[in-house]
Amino acid sequence: MLELQGLTKHFGGVRAVHDLQLQVRQGEVLGLIGPNGSGKSTTVNLICGLFPLTSGRVIFNGQDISDRPPHERVALGIARTFQNIRLFGQLTVWQNLWVAQNSAEQRRQNPAKRWLGGGGSTREQIGRVLEFFDLAHKCDELAGSLAFGEQRRLEFARAFASSPSMLLLDEPAAGMNAEEIDQLDARIRKLREDGMSILLIEHHVELVMSVADRVAVLNFGQKIADGPPADVQNDAGVRAAYLGTAATA
Amino acid sequence: MDFYLGLAQIIGVHTLLGLSAYCVLLTGQVSLAQAGFFAIGAYVAGMLTVLAGWALVPALLVAALVSGLVACAVGFPALRVKGLMLVVATTAFGEAVRLFFFNFTYQVDAGNLKLGPHGAEGFRQIRYFPENGWSTLDVVIFIWTVVALVMAALWWLDRSRAGAVMRAVGEDELAAQSTGINITAVKVSAMTIGGLIAGIGGGIFAHYTTHIEHVQFGVALATFAIAYPILGGLSSVFGTLLAVIFIQGFLIEGLRFMGDWRNLLFGGLIVLAMNVRPRGLLDPRASALLRRLFAGRRQAPPLSRKEAPGA
Repeated sequence: MLELQGLTKHFGGVRAVHDLQLQVRQGEVLGLIGPNGSGKSTTVNLICGLFPLTSGRVIFNGQDISDRPPHERVALGIARTFQNIRLFGQLTVWQNLWVAQNSAEQRRQNPAKRWLGGGGSTREQIGRVLEFFDLAHKCDELAGSLAFGEQRRLEFARAFASSPSMLLLDEPAAGMNAEEIDQLDARIRKLREDGMSILLIEHHVELVMSVADRVAVLNFGQKIADGPPADVQNDAGVRAAYLGTAATA
Repeated sequence: MDFYLGLAQIIGVHTLLGLSAYCVLLTGQVSLAQAGFFAIGAYVAGMLTVLAGWALVPALLVAALVSGLVACAVGFPALRVKGLMLVVATTAFGEAVRLFFFNFTYQVDAGNLKLGPHGAEGFRQIRYFPENGWSTLDVVIFIWTVVALVMAALWWLDRSRAGAVMRAVGEDELAAQSTGINITAVKVSAMTIGGLIAGIGGGIFAHYTTHIEHVQFGVALATFAIAYPILGGLSSVFGTLLAVIFIQGFLIEGLRFMGDWRNLLFGGLIVLAMNVRPRGLLDPRASALLRRLFAGRRQAPPLSRKEAPGA
């Protein structure tokens, strides 16, 4: 489904991501973890096309999308959330989801209806998204006035509103309480059941180990482990990356 | 009475100018090119009625179209730069247009006098209104009909998805891109719509003043254009209208009795207004209040109300 081939991004002399090979299969939740500054968010930004690659390729559904601008990648079915929430705070919850209706199918709508009206299917679709993310009662409130947990939920919902087939979640649990993390866990599971592929970047190890089918570990922009959660947890290299090796400790 | 009619003309035309900047400002772009589009509209419409003998309305439409096309063409390169750099680029464009008309001469013999733009002397004798027997009141009614139509169209656009998308781009370009919005297309469209509106405004301006010249379209006018929506606030088109009435009606005309002190107070009052109402005279809270007063129970956005289960 999504394949990164030798993905490389250097900022000047800093190798943010170096020669990364990674695959996310159809309907799979891939957890991507690693210490701070290991290149996780950069990887997401590269998949979305926010900056050009130094080298390597991004393949999505067999198509090389390395040179596609960000909005086209969304149309193809890749949507994301941000680590530091980036909602449209002056727009209502409803409008936040409305402007995100940009999948290829949604783009094919009659332009007059798409830009000026808000066709029946659009309303229904947004209504369903609102309900799934438990935001229906906040529908007319400004996104900026929501509580933190609700903002995180709305960002997730906004990513989902473009009916993607691949979701990139950049630390969706950051700053959430235990109850909210449980709900997030349940939502991710439900989406996977429906066939969604998810790349989950998270510091909250429990969540990753609970929902991920497979876990990849980054350190200094390179992949140091890739496998089922239990194996990765016991991997010596991963432990060294997080805790330091005996030599440096 | 004539004084008030004249003032109504100025306010109407400046509202169009302010709305053209409002449109661009919604997408987060500060453009000082609006006076340039206004100038293009003024010269094109004037030449069409005076030299080609067109009626006013088609001349205005063509003027709007020409300004819109220029705005679209300027939008592509200009909107690649952001913030202050965009201000510089658009100012440069505005000055280029002004200097073009400073050097532009195209005159036609009409009996004992020559008609048409004449370089630094400007374009005199745009006498469509007197020649066709329009009274000042007719002109005022015409101007405000156009203003009302443009405001209604923008109001409607603002409520649509297009408006929400423009505001989304204005708030956070990166997030907008990442939700699948083609931000270049949105920004260039906003610039084009702004050009269209400025073109209409300029065309009308040329006809009620009957004499236009390059100095009228300088940086001062461009600054006014952008000051209206900023002072008025971006929550709705009425903010811009309110700001034009405040600046043109109160600060410029209303304070005339103060003589030279007026200019000092003018600046001071704008600073004061921005401090008291940092998000504009008609900020989101004020407009929400007004909407409740006028609309009764039906609040905007009407789309979402019915949809919310349990709301």
